[in-house]
Amino acid sequence: MADQGGLHKIQGLRLRWIVYHILEDVLLSLYAALYVGAIIYYLLSPSILWGIIVFPVALIILLAINRPWQMSGQKIAAFLNKEYPELQESSHLLLLPPAELNPLQVIASSKTDAVLTGLKISHNPFARRLVVAFISLIVATAFIWALGKIFHIERVFYGNNRPVAECAPMPKVAEKVLPQISSVNISIAPPAYTGKGRREQDKFNLSAEEGAMVEWHIKTNVAIKTAYLLFNDKEHVALKSSSNGTNWHATKAIISPGFYQVSIDGKLSDLYYTQVVKDSPPVIHIKTPKQYTYIDAGEAPKVTINAALNDDYGVADAVIIATVAKGKGEGVKFKEYKLNFAQGFGAHNAQYDVQKLIQLPALNVEPGDELYFYVQAQDTHKQLSRTDVYTVSVQDTAELLSMNGIINGVNLKPEFFRSERQIIIDAEQLLKEKDSISVEKFNNRSNNLGIDQKLLRLRYGKFLGEEGEDAIGAPSNDPADPADFSNAAKILKEYTDDHDNAEDAGFFEPAIKAQLKATLTEMWKAELQLRLYKPQAALPFAYKALRLLKDLQQKSRAFVAKTAYNPPPFKQEKRLSGELDKIIQPISKQDINPPADQMDALKKAVNVLEGLKTNPVLSSGDNRILQLANQQLGLKASAQPGVYLPALNAMRRILSAAPAKSKDVDLVERALQRTLSKPKNMPSSNANITDMGLSKQYYKNLKQANR
Amino acid sequence: MQGSWIYMVWALCIFMAVLFAWLEYRRANKRFLLLRIGAALVAVAALGCIVLPIKYNSTITKSIQHKNILLTQGFNADSLPDGIDTSLITLDASIKKAYPKVKLISGLDELSKTAPLHVYGNGLSKDELVQLDSLPVILHAAKIPAGVSNISWNDQLKAGEVLRVQGVYNNTSAQKVKLVLRGLSTGLDSIILPPNAQTPFGLSTTPKATGKMVFTLNADTALQGSLPVQIQPVKPLKVLMLSASPDFESKFLKNWLSENGYSVALRSAISKGKYNSGYINIAQFNLDKLSAQTLAQFDVVIGDLSVLSTLSSTESDVLKQAVANKGMGLIVRADSAGKTSWLQKQFPVDRPSGKEPEPASLIINGNKSGSGKLAYGPAYIVYQDGTQPLVKTKERILAGLALYGSGKIVFTTLNNTFSWMLGGNKQDYTELWSVLLSKAARKNDEVKNYIQFSSLPVSNEPVVLQVSQGSSSPIVVNNELIAPAQNADIPFEWNASYRPSNAGWQNLKQGDKISTWYAYPQNEWKPLRSAEKTAATTQYAALHPNRHIVTKQIQQKVRIDVPKIYFYILLLAACTFLWIETKIS
Repeated sequence: MADQGGLHKIQGLRLRWIVYHILEDVLLSLYAALYVGAIIYYLLSPSILWGIIVFPVALIILLAINRPWQMSGQKIAAFLNKEYPELQESSHLLLLPPAELNPLQVIASSKTDAVLTGLKISHNPFARRLVVAFISLIVATAFIWALGKIFHIERVFYGNNRPVAECAPMPKVAEKVLPQISSVNISIAPPAYTGKGRREQDKFNLSAEEGAMVEWHIKTNVAIKTAYLLFNDKEHVALKSSSNGTNWHATKAIISPGFYQVSIDGKLSDLYYTQVVKDSPPVIHIKTPKQYTYIDAGEAPKVTINAALNDDYGVADAVIIATVAKGKGEGVKFKEYKLNFAQGFGAHNAQYDVQKLIQLPALNVEPGDELYFYVQAQDTHKQLSRTDVYTVSVQDTAELLSMNGIINGVNLKPEFFRSERQIIIDAEQLLKEKDSISVEKFNNRSNNLGIDQKLLRLRYGKFLGEEGEDAIGAPSNDPADPADFSNAAKILKEYTDDHDNAEDAGFFEPAIKAQLKATLTEMWKAELQLRLYKPQAALPFAYKALRLLKDLQQKSRAFVAKTAYNPPPFKQEKRLSGELDKIIQPISKQDINPPADQMDALKKAVNVLEGLKTNPVLSSGDNRILQLANQQLGLKASAQPGVYLPALNAMRRILSAAPAKSKDVDLVERALQRTLSKPKNMPSSNANITDMGLSKQYYKNLKQANR
Repeated sequence: MQGSWIYMVWALCIFMAVLFAWLEYRRANKRFLLLRIGAALVAVAALGCIVLPIKYNSTITKSIQHKNILLTQGFNADSLPDGIDTSLITLDASIKKAYPKVKLISGLDELSKTAPLHVYGNGLSKDELVQLDSLPVILHAAKIPAGVSNISWNDQLKAGEVLRVQGVYNNTSAQKVKLVLRGLSTGLDSIILPPNAQTPFGLSTTPKATGKMVFTLNADTALQGSLPVQIQPVKPLKVLMLSASPDFESKFLKNWLSENGYSVALRSAISKGKYNSGYINIAQFNLDKLSAQTLAQFDVVIGDLSVLSTLSSTESDVLKQAVANKGMGLIVRADSAGKTSWLQKQFPVDRPSGKEPEPASLIINGNKSGSGKLAYGPAYIVYQDGTQPLVKTKERILAGLALYGSGKIVFTTLNNTFSWMLGGNKQDYTELWSVLLSKAARKNDEVKNYIQFSSLPVSNEPVVLQVSQGSSSPIVVNNELIAPAQNADIPFEWNASYRPSNAGWQNLKQGDKISTWYAYPQNEWKPLRSAEKTAATTQYAALHPNRHIVTKQIQQKVRIDVPKIYFYILLLAACTFLWIETKIS
């Protein structure tokens, strides 16, 4: 229908309006997030987290305020009426249901519909605000970038040119090359275990993997006679000439760090460093299980080993070494297993996440046994590393149930300790004979056992200060003494219980008392079942009571060693009166020199360098001190060339050139501060002050005054 | 123009007066006619007087003082008085350049000594103040300049001791300042100071070498000044150890001391009258009896209380004499021996029964950072006046120091410090015993020359050195013989003035002893020096107050404006009368 075209157009415009507004809100909230994020990033903490948080919050707030989806068709129609006079102010008629229109409106609406369908409505009025938001976002981005990069806003708050205590490596100095050398090409072939290809560089300073083959190709601009490389001031590697004395090459395997110089026709170059990148052994991190795992009875007897393996070049292999320990005391037996991970390590990746499920029964681990295991990994350089030992132990159920302690305990046992056992034995006997005796007899015997149990309970009850059962409320048949008339204490005693009388109670510790009470409770329950003629049901309680009693018995046991010898009484006057004149007094005499200070040469050099700051000319004595320090520094530099080589260079410049440059002195001093260790604070005495004995006299008088 | 304006006002007033008078006269009701006309005239006259300036001539008497004003660095131009009778002078060529009106003088002797001197700015140095010849001075001090206004550090150190720099920094800028202590071209310690505040600061480091070193203090990148430090190597002490039985504590202490090159003689009783004696880095001699000669060899005696309290009376007397008169140190290790000994008079020990306290970290010589944990046992020292706690836990004192004549007694209840050594904690063990031994040790024979300065020694500026010396041997500074003056009251104090020509270390030779001191370059510690000058001038001003106030009486003719308020009141009164008169009629 023709009507539908206009209506669709209005709906489409409404949709366009909503989309544009939502887009605009998104841009504005981006704008807000950018600003908040930038402020926090520059001033508080360098993290973009805040910007990320602010964006959705701002978006939700903007959408909640604007509610673009609430735009109605009426408003669109009104807008169209206003903007396009050819619609003749009737576009809103299109929104009304056709049934409600009067004939005039129908005509108008169909006319408008036709016009509207043909009308091209520009995006401009809808998108204007969107464009504004977009441009301001771009401007804001540029502004924030400029704040950080050009104006350095953070410096406004922290002051500019903050000096920072320098602990970082020495500043990089540009390489100086001998003038004869026109170009250099060094190719480094890393060893096979790294899995890296050959690489080339045109700088003399080099860092190579341990064991890498390094090849120098040096081109000179004039023909030279001899050339060699000097490593660590002692090792010569001759450079070979390939053509007419301008192309030279040499090869060397780099194993240890250090420095080297190029010598051309006897002239030595600057020092260049060779750094060695060592291969570190693989790192194993076991995520599960924990260092000590305890598997309770009833838990599934299995362990999942979950580990992460890392290496700088590649992991070649990894295994689990597991040991099962069986038995107790001296009869422990060990069995070792080697378990492989399911994953293969053929790819030699740098990182692996491995898992292994160990079924304990498969390793023959039984209750009471322990499993020890560790993970061992090997990298491509054949370096091994292993984890700590992890322990998995399984709870021993057999020991819990054994009656060892009771059966083979101390020979001499008090009577009441035997009774509970006897009740159990009798009850078991009764159960066995159940089928062969009459019900009446069975019940009778069960009841008798119950009586025995009660007596036993009462006997233990005495330890807790409980009164005997017969005493409660039992009337006394003695005639009342007339003297006791209106004796309140006596009357009270007659009609009350003397529970928990402290006088009657044994002197037990609270823990033992609690256990004793628990025992009595079990006995109560056992008695109840026996009296109900259910000896089978009574047995668990009886057993429990027995176990508790056994514990009590063990706890109260004290072991006293038997002594057979009674020494005679000691005569004090004879003490220390032995003849000692034959005894020689031991005397020892030693001279121990403190170990020579390794850093002595460097410490002395500090003073010389301090002097150079004011007077930059070396005396011959100072020169000797610096020469010694130079040797020490050379040793340091061969161990850590990256750190100490610039200082060594500077030291050599100081030694060779007459007026020392302050920059060189600074460089060397910095290296010395780094190398030297703090001296120990050893005890020392203070010096006297020249006071013609005044203070001495003062202290003397002070002592007299204090008397 | 001015004149014609006045005439116009007069003409207008006369016209108005005539008009108002005629209007009053014309009125039908003739009541108060004269009064009304008068009031109208008064109102008009008052109006005219409000508009016109009315002045009268008078003479006043002023007392004007002649002011001599001396401008020094740091004065504020706004604070100068603008009087006729002031003469501005300065000693500083840079001030003359900036203010050409000021008269430049070459020396303080050119000053007129008649009137008191007003000093603006930082003031004068001690040296210049002496030249003023007790002329009264009134100081108008400048504000404290930005930078380090106070500083102090321990410039004489032993190897291993910590260099501590403390001071006050006046930060006048609106930005934070980072103060860095640098040595050997490396930042060693730093602190960030808040803006617009005078903040005390403390920085510390342990110098790693011995000898003369110059540290520097930098604020951000600007150099504040040098911190010259002299670090002496440690000289090993001689220690005598007496123990009641061979025990671990003595054994570890002996090993530790001897491996560091210290001389140790050890005597431990093994039976009645039988001793095990050991001599390390020291010649062998008989140790069975203590004699004055024996003790004279040692700087410190370490002994168990039971050994020291059971010495024979002669030995005990010898020990007392050695401590009190010879300044020997005595370290007493408490044990269960009785409490009556003279050694324990100042250190009552309490040994509460019950559980041993938990191992705790010790505070050694006030070092807040604390040591590793040590089970220190139940015994502790009850504090008494006159003793100094050296080692303590949070609640208990475990070692203390007391003076005994010229020597010192250190008393300690610690008996298992060797467990630190066993546990590999060498550092705490070293710190503890270094403190105990250093505090107790006899002062060595080497006599230190003590040099003090009247002000901060700066190159090309005179400074008075105060040197202590027992004899009157000549003093030579940088190979230049100088003439010192002996202090009249303190005979071993000698004052000499010297002008170092170069900054840096200076030699001072006294007889055959050479000591060194440091002269700072001109551009260092400027705020500190101006603060020093201000302090010196303030002190001088307080000592020489301005007693005779010389003033001159001057008669001066002035024209004074008559206050307008009177005319307003007249106008108001006249108008009020006229208004009321119409109302009541």
